Amino acid sequence: MTFRQARWEEPPIWDLAPPRTAEAPPTISGIPDRFRRKTAVQWPELSEPEVVRHYTRLSQMNFGIDTSAYPLGSCTMKYNPKVSEMLARRPGAADMHPYQPEATAQGALELIWRLERLLAKVTGLPEVSLQPSAGAHGEYAALLMVRAYFHDKGESATRTEVLLPDTAHGTNPASAAMAGYTTREIPSKDGCVDVAALKAAVSEKTACFMLTNPNTAGLFESDILEIAETVHAAGGMLYYDGANLNAILGVTHPGRMGFDVAHLNLHKTFATPHGGGGPGAGVLAAGERLGPYLPVPRVVKSGRKFRLDYDRPHSIGKIKTGYGNFGLDVRAYAFALTHGEEGLKHVAHRSVLNSNYVGLRLGKYLPRPFRPLVKHEFVLSGAPLKERGVRTIDLAKRLLDEGVHAPTVYFPTLVEESLMVELPETESRRELDQFVAAFERAIGDSPENLHAAPQHLAVRRVDEVRAAREPLLSWKDLRTAGAKAETP
Amino acid sequence: MSRWISTEPGEEAALLQALGISSVDELFQDVPKKARIGRLGIAPGRDEPEVVAEVDKILKRNKPLSDFASFLGGRISSRYVPAAVDAMLSRSEFYTAYTPYQAEASQGMLRALFEFQSLWVELTGLDVANASLYDGATAAGEALLFSRRLHEGNRFLVPASLPWEEKSVLRNYASGPNLNVEEIPYDERTGRLDLDFVRREVGRKDVFGVLADVPNGFGHLDEGILDLKSILGDIPLVVAADPLALSVLEPPGNYGADVVIGEGQGFGIAPSFGGPLLGLFACRKEHVRAAPGRIVGATLDAEGHRAYALTLVTREQHIRRSRATSNICTNESLMALAFVVYASLQGPRGLANLQASLAEKARTLASALGGIEGLQAPRFDAPYLGEFTVELTKGTADEFLDRLRRRKVLGGHSLADPRPGASHGPERILVAATQAAGDKQVQKYAKAARGAMAAVGRNA
Repeated sequence: MTFRQARWEEPPIWDLAPPRTAEAPPTISGIPDRFRRKTAVQWPELSEPEVVRHYTRLSQMNFGIDTSAYPLGSCTMKYNPKVSEMLARRPGAADMHPYQPEATAQGALELIWRLERLLAKVTGLPEVSLQPSAGAHGEYAALLMVRAYFHDKGESATRTEVLLPDTAHGTNPASAAMAGYTTREIPSKDGCVDVAALKAAVSEKTACFMLTNPNTAGLFESDILEIAETVHAAGGMLYYDGANLNAILGVTHPGRMGFDVAHLNLHKTFATPHGGGGPGAGVLAAGERLGPYLPVPRVVKSGRKFRLDYDRPHSIGKIKTGYGNFGLDVRAYAFALTHGEEGLKHVAHRSVLNSNYVGLRLGKYLPRPFRPLVKHEFVLSGAPLKERGVRTIDLAKRLLDEGVHAPTVYFPTLVEESLMVELPETESRRELDQFVAAFERAIGDSPENLHAAPQHLAVRRVDEVRAAREPLLSWKDLRTAGAKAETP
Repeated sequence: MSRWISTEPGEEAALLQALGISSVDELFQDVPKKARIGRLGIAPGRDEPEVVAEVDKILKRNKPLSDFASFLGGRISSRYVPAAVDAMLSRSEFYTAYTPYQAEASQGMLRALFEFQSLWVELTGLDVANASLYDGATAAGEALLFSRRLHEGNRFLVPASLPWEEKSVLRNYASGPNLNVEEIPYDERTGRLDLDFVRREVGRKDVFGVLADVPNGFGHLDEGILDLKSILGDIPLVVAADPLALSVLEPPGNYGADVVIGEGQGFGIAPSFGGPLLGLFACRKEHVRAAPGRIVGATLDAEGHRAYALTLVTREQHIRRSRATSNICTNESLMALAFVVYASLQGPRGLANLQASLAEKARTLASALGGIEGLQAPRFDAPYLGEFTVELTKGTADEFLDRLRRRKVLGGHSLADPRPGASHGPERILVAATQAAGDKQVQKYAKAARGAMAAVGRNA
């Protein structure tokens, strides 16, 4: 397949029309002079067609799941159903203010309540809050709940450590540190938690062990029940990072595995679009011990009416304005309703089948450092490429020239030159085979072409080192740099 | 059942055959029997028309804002979303993309985010903006942690008039590193911050940052904020600003703000019952390495052409892990796109004129409500733009708002913290002039308010 991305020579928006800096904004009576803006905001005045063409051209220089496979490991880039987009734009979803009286928002509260009940079943954890905006936000809120719980038990002074495996997503240690914990890494053995090392590490200091299962190596942590027992015996909590839930929908769930609290990424497992970086929705689900600590308000049903319940004395309070990313809740609910019991299980089955199939095919080209039976994703090592003077990054860039996105690269870090590949259930066998063929062409190409890649995109290889060394972070920076360059 | 998974006959059998297995169950042999579940206990799948009917049935139990004369505001606005904004958000190359880790494949989003960052820089008068945070409240939380990285201390001062939700979010962000959020009292007549209090507390040397909002939690402008930085010296000043207000107000960077945060939802994002929202964050360039969140930078490609990439990533969680400046990964990029498209469609004059017209409408509304027995409107003797606070001298805010609702008026929202045990405070309502509410709706509000207050009088 030959691929050419659009390559518009589209100037930045401020070069489309000169901003009219000299004009002062209209005077508003009563506003003190000192508070007034003296010159208009520097931004161009453009017609609607000019603006629409500008951003349409930009969009044509971007990959999305609608243009190509997007095999980013741990990101679960699945197809985003169009029906969900349509429903989220209904007036009953979009034209609703969070401070409307409850009597006028019964449908919104009911949808939240229903989605929460459904996710309680999916996670096996009975208490659910949709408030967090993203996975990391959910992690952070959950750790604050853990802290509050131990505070109430009088153990907050001693339980100061959060344990996590060395394969953990970067958000896990970052969230733990933000919540005031010291973090301690547990080494992996053959890609899974070394249970002996975990047993040696747990103590009366352990507040929580954060784990994603299947983990970032794509492996199911088969010792999960022993892990749960170990952490609980030490008096700690077990946290489930739901980034990889897709692989186990309807097969097992965090509740059955012994987790006390979990976050889910609706923008992964429940197919809400990732928006080029966000928004997400990082649902929290908790068991009996941590449930009372969830953010307020909770949505409750009394009789046939739904209402917001703020009477939760143990709650950590609010972690954002409003009740969560409702627009995404509507999308996720439509996804779950469509699939239903058997469909959700099929999601897991098919994503695991896809991943094992592609893993088998790509294992012919690069070593797979861990056992071959994987769940939603698998890891390859690009280390042998180095013999040809090529690195994983070159292979990733060369894949872009095939019109497919690259896998996650250089994570997990315990594998040298790693590639992490995830092709969820919405990729058909034809797409999988096309991806394998693209990979085969890419890896078989000459070192010169691999180094020169990409050649068919809007830009050639981007100099990221320069971006960090000489940061130009806004138009203002560009103006200053331009002025400097013009000074003799 | 969905059409999202290919069901071509023989397809899964072929995949299984390639793997040399006969059933997909064999791929789950690593899940111990004791960890498995039977059924989830949820309903069977449905086809698309059934799902649409079911979701619509639920959503129709809502009464959207367009059913009312709405004066709801606060940090979340019900401003009109131009069709062209949604058309750009519906470009699936944008909305179905992931975070632009592969710069070459994501120039469109990276450029849009760079333009977004540049716009927030122009509005705030600062140097650097990030590519978004979750919402205005979490942006305040991140600004608190950011301030602590710039300055020693354990006390962060915020206006007592800040919305209760934001105070609660701030206290959560402060709780990790054991920092305290303390409230600056305000003048009962004007709602202005007590600058003598700030001066005194700053003198105690353990304050590491001060937050002030423009307009404040009462909807009013506090001229004293312009003098705050001279009191603070090298203590960081965080200004939480409404983006539309900044189209007509002095950029906070010009009066010493070190950080300017805000809620960006009013620029082209439907309220959607409170989310997704858009957290805005800008700071000075010398502090950029302490900043949270993704940042897009301009650079060159291998042929020397202008190109864009995520940059300064060593601040971030995927590299720095427990020592990252923030845990944020997923942000609100698509909403940032809405923000810059909205502002570009309006242009600087369009934004300023919109703010001016809302301000005029708010004054009309305030004078219509101010004449009603039992209502003080506006409650504070201070300038305002599109919002102001009304105080009830009899009856409760909840009861008043409920009576208005029955007359098809959403008259604003109560400023009280609804948590049991929280100090309730006076009966105050934040009222917003909205685009959809014309003269007719303003008169409708005044009439409904008169009726509601008369009813309170009868019941008293």
